[in-house]
Amino acid sequence: MARSAKTALVLCLDVGFSMSNSATGQEPPFQQAKKVIQKFVQRQVFAENKDELGLVLFGSDNTKNNLAKDDQYQNISVHRHLMIPNFELLEEIQNDVQPGSQQADCILPLADHSSLLQGKKYERLNIVMLTDLNTPSSPDQLDIIIGNLKRAGITLQFFLPFPVDGGGSNPPHGGKALSREQQQGLEMTKKVMMSLDEEDGLEEVYTFSDAIEKLSVFKRVEKRPMAWPCTLTIGSSLSIKIVGYKAVCEERPRKSWSVVDAQTHQKDDIKRDVVYCLNDDEETEVQKDDTIQGYRYGSDIVPFSKVDQDQMKYKTDGKSFAVLGFTKQSMVIQHQFVGTQVLKVFAPKDDEHAGVALSGLIRALDDLKMVAVVRYVYARNGNPQVGAAFPCIKEKYECLVYVQLPFMEDLRQYSFPSLENNKKYTPSEDQLSAVDSLIDSMMLVEEDGEKKDLFKVNHIPNPQYQRLFQCLHHRAVNPSVPLPPMDPWLTTALQRPLAVATRCQAPLETLKKKFPLKEVVKKKELKTSKELFGNSCLGTGRSASRAVWEWVGLHH
Amino acid sequence: PEMWNVLVARLLHASMAQWNDYHHEDEDVDGEERDESGVDYTSTGRDSLVFLVDASKEMFIKGEDEEPSPFDMTMQCVRSVYTSKIISSDKDLVALVFYGTEQSKNPRNSFKHVYIYHDLDLPGARRVQDVDGLRGEKGAQVAGETMGSGNTNLGEALWCCSNLYSDIKLRLSHKRLMIFTCRDTPHGGDGERDRQARTKASDLKETGVVIDLMHLMKPGGFDVSLFFCDVVSPPEDEAELGLQMEPCGKLEDLQKRVRAKEMKKRSVARLNLCLGEGMNVAVGVYITALQARKPNAIKLYRDNNEPVRTKTRLYHTQTGSLLLPSDTKRVQVYAGRQIVMEKDEVDVIKKFSDPGLELIGFKPMERLKLHHHLRSAVFIYPEEEMVTGSACVFTALLRRCSERNVFALCKYTRIRNSPPRFLALVPQKEEVDDGQAQIVAPGFHGIFLPYADDIRTLDTPQLPTASESQVDKMKEIVHKLRFKYRSDAFENPVLQQHYRNLEALALDLMAPEHIEDLTMPNVNMMDQRLGSLAQEFRDLVYPADYNPEGKTAPKRKPAEAAGGTEKKPKVEMSEDELRGHVQKGNLGKLTVPVLKDACKQFGVKVTGTKKQELIDALTAQLTK
Repeated sequence: MARSAKTALVLCLDVGFSMSNSATGQEPPFQQAKKVIQKFVQRQVFAENKDELGLVLFGSDNTKNNLAKDDQYQNISVHRHLMIPNFELLEEIQNDVQPGSQQADCILPLADHSSLLQGKKYERLNIVMLTDLNTPSSPDQLDIIIGNLKRAGITLQFFLPFPVDGGGSNPPHGGKALSREQQQGLEMTKKVMMSLDEEDGLEEVYTFSDAIEKLSVFKRVEKRPMAWPCTLTIGSSLSIKIVGYKAVCEERPRKSWSVVDAQTHQKDDIKRDVVYCLNDDEETEVQKDDTIQGYRYGSDIVPFSKVDQDQMKYKTDGKSFAVLGFTKQSMVIQHQFVGTQVLKVFAPKDDEHAGVALSGLIRALDDLKMVAVVRYVYARNGNPQVGAAFPCIKEKYECLVYVQLPFMEDLRQYSFPSLENNKKYTPSEDQLSAVDSLIDSMMLVEEDGEKKDLFKVNHIPNPQYQRLFQCLHHRAVNPSVPLPPMDPWLTTALQRPLAVATRCQAPLETLKKKFPLKEVVKKKELKTSKELFGNSCLGTGRSASRAVWEWVGLHH
Repeated sequence: PEMWNVLVARLLHASMAQWNDYHHEDEDVDGEERDESGVDYTSTGRDSLVFLVDASKEMFIKGEDEEPSPFDMTMQCVRSVYTSKIISSDKDLVALVFYGTEQSKNPRNSFKHVYIYHDLDLPGARRVQDVDGLRGEKGAQVAGETMGSGNTNLGEALWCCSNLYSDIKLRLSHKRLMIFTCRDTPHGGDGERDRQARTKASDLKETGVVIDLMHLMKPGGFDVSLFFCDVVSPPEDEAELGLQMEPCGKLEDLQKRVRAKEMKKRSVARLNLCLGEGMNVAVGVYITALQARKPNAIKLYRDNNEPVRTKTRLYHTQTGSLLLPSDTKRVQVYAGRQIVMEKDEVDVIKKFSDPGLELIGFKPMERLKLHHHLRSAVFIYPEEEMVTGSACVFTALLRRCSERNVFALCKYTRIRNSPPRFLALVPQKEEVDDGQAQIVAPGFHGIFLPYADDIRTLDTPQLPTASESQVDKMKEIVHKLRFKYRSDAFENPVLQQHYRNLEALALDLMAPEHIEDLTMPNVNMMDQRLGSLAQEFRDLVYPADYNPEGKTAPKRKPAEAAGGTEKKPKVEMSEDELRGHVQKGNLGKLTVPVLKDACKQFGVKVTGTKKQELIDALTAQLTK
């Protein structure tokens, strides 16, 4: 897998004095911007990608840059040249990056990119500006700078304390009204962004709070998806060249925990040792070489060596994406999907004939509301799957979406007592309408107009990793301090949206009145306390076993 | 369509031939969070199942159109339960007892006309073979010779079965007895024997045995009310129309009915579905589809083929003393810095909220995307025994969600230290077949939704699209190859082969039974069905000189064709080369196997198998 092309990113943080001003009760823009940067650097460090990162402060009390000369380019300090981010940078941001007492032009740092590059070559360079735009700017240089950026193929992102479209003299979100400089700066920002990308330029302007909540807005540098070239076959005489990509798959952290000695923190000080022993009273130890492999077959234990097993096992003859037949989409139900991934299947990007052929299949299936049932084999020694290939037609592309379907052995067909036909459980009309009002009040997709979705799970970063990295970051920089509480934004992101929570209060109260619920206290509870008791036994058991272990250790 | 139906029939046949249940192997489990099937069987005791089969003459009468006899059908059923127990729940005990026989075989032979074919024990290869011997024409003959058909005394038979249970030393958690018969008045009006049977049945039920009737088709209909209504256990709920159920005429129906009863439903979690503060509905979370995998191999002692136990010990390399878990800590290395945490901290980081389902809100069904799939769905059903009133709220919610075509979005925390996942709760209304048997259970399907990290951005190729005539030609092709998909139509050939192999070894067979690989396309039939259509489509989309089978990786083919599983010869890397890679920081360009070889070559110890871990280990070693 080739590493993705080298990318560089320069963070330009406004530390000018206006960044420390804020309406009462609000966090100053400087603190917000610092948080954004910390989050971002943290993310880069833990992603361990080789992208290089630079940090430029402007409005700083000192001046440190190559262009500085006489009174030009003053109060701009290159805090860190482009290099791979590390914990030292995080520590510096935490401890050394402080608000300054000066102001500096927010566009000028852009001119200094050549000094940052130091002659190094990058595939891509992205500059991120974090500022409140509260600086007198010099429009005269603007066109030159834009020209330079364009020529160098540099992309730009802006992070502001207020939304780009919430400008004007109206105070955005109850905050302070924008100053004249800010309005002027906003206009200039718009101009820069639009001239770099006429259509989507403004989409690269974010607010600080957006950025803190949704780190996903950062240009994510990701693993390059692995292509799986194969041939789709229908019978023996119809083939279409295809390429599959993993499109949805549970992303796991790249590293796992390793075990170290508690005192020395050395991995090498610990050895794990597996011993085999007979099931007799003496627990007689036997050598690994004296054991063979076997399997249980019900009450039988069947010796079955690896060699024999390899010889007798089911074998496939290589990759496959073979159509077994076509069936109605309604016969393949989402809750029966198995497997841990979704593939998107395209034609190879340089093969237009395959493109047309595959498009024929996709459109035919889409029109007929059907799917292809296929045999899928990843590679020669892979296990065969049966899965469904759904047609997917988007504005910009067409593809097949492949999901694995269950084998008969995977299904558990439980039957459950009927609910509808049970008089005890049949809800009254009154109760049903209470449920209706609850649903009405808790709809997450607003019906009117643009159908805004208030809770998109696929926009939430996996909280497990956000929390893990928060704790790793904390521990790396403060080794002896207890772990911090969860970031408030993360807690909020996982909760019912505030608007919905407020709206559903009354219907919920009604629901409570209409449906009496009573917790059953049963013998089970007693068992729980027994379990507790059992646990305490386990506690003493443990120390007893420790004694035994130590004894064994002494005699080792 | 005739020919196509042959394929369909073949698929259906497979589903009847054998069905198995799941088992689970923690293969790529990274933390317990994955382990959805975490049901603790050890604390609950063994499950047991007794087949009590009528062996009277009536059971051996074949149906119309060469339908198998009730006895034959029953034996096929018993066989598939045996094999499924072996594969899925190898701790469960099963017994096979015949009544209405001429011969008697039971301890002390105190019960006349009761023949214990298999007492309560784990099924094994030999037992499967025994049952096979009772199938078909030949099986009927064998049954006639060994057991014969004689008087019927169901009371004695039930008494004999109750002894089976009491002779078992193990703790039994779930006790089930299934009566297979096609006679609704087994004692032919003998009131005394009827009474005795009822008494014995109620004794059994009192000790916790659940008695089911698997009644088979009989000319003139099977009238449950004549006798059996007092023998079997009352239905699970008042609405279950168990007694009105039609008798089974088909093997498939019988298997379905046995299958539904034979497995004890076990929830992976019982927790609260919180609709809002103070509104908690108790629900059970079940798994209805889970990938069955080959079980782990066990280690046996060479001399006696007995399983050995493995003990893992941690000890200190310097002092040699054994270490307790508390003598260790956990680390991860990032950007060259070692970050240390206690084991407890590592666990507690994963805790977000207490176990439960928390309602976030509702969305219209069209917001649920087909390609938002991460793992098998779960099934949610109310637990009235935990919170009374739950079933009513649940039913109301289910009904309105279904009618309004919305799903409920919930945050799901399975156990204390499992990080949250979001589920789309999709309403599922109950469906029953003509015989009032349940096809689909009522409840919510919980579909796991992906987070932002789980969705990958792809560079989509820009390619021309098909014209209308091309699409129409493909539609003809699609039309020709239509079939009715059924989720239980495909067996897993890898598993089937594995178990056939084990069976053959256990029974000393010359060769394992042949398996039919239903995942292979039936190319001949497809070609026949398509006729000239394939060529016509090709002519429409491909130019004459285009070869759609052209190799994308031509170099590898000859090696593969030369056959054999020979691996590529290992290319050893010189230390200088490797150091060069380390210095330039492009170890990442090497493949995992190459990295692993390099680790071996330079004696680098690696704990993990992840690429980054290999790279870290090599870098650490070579920069020392």
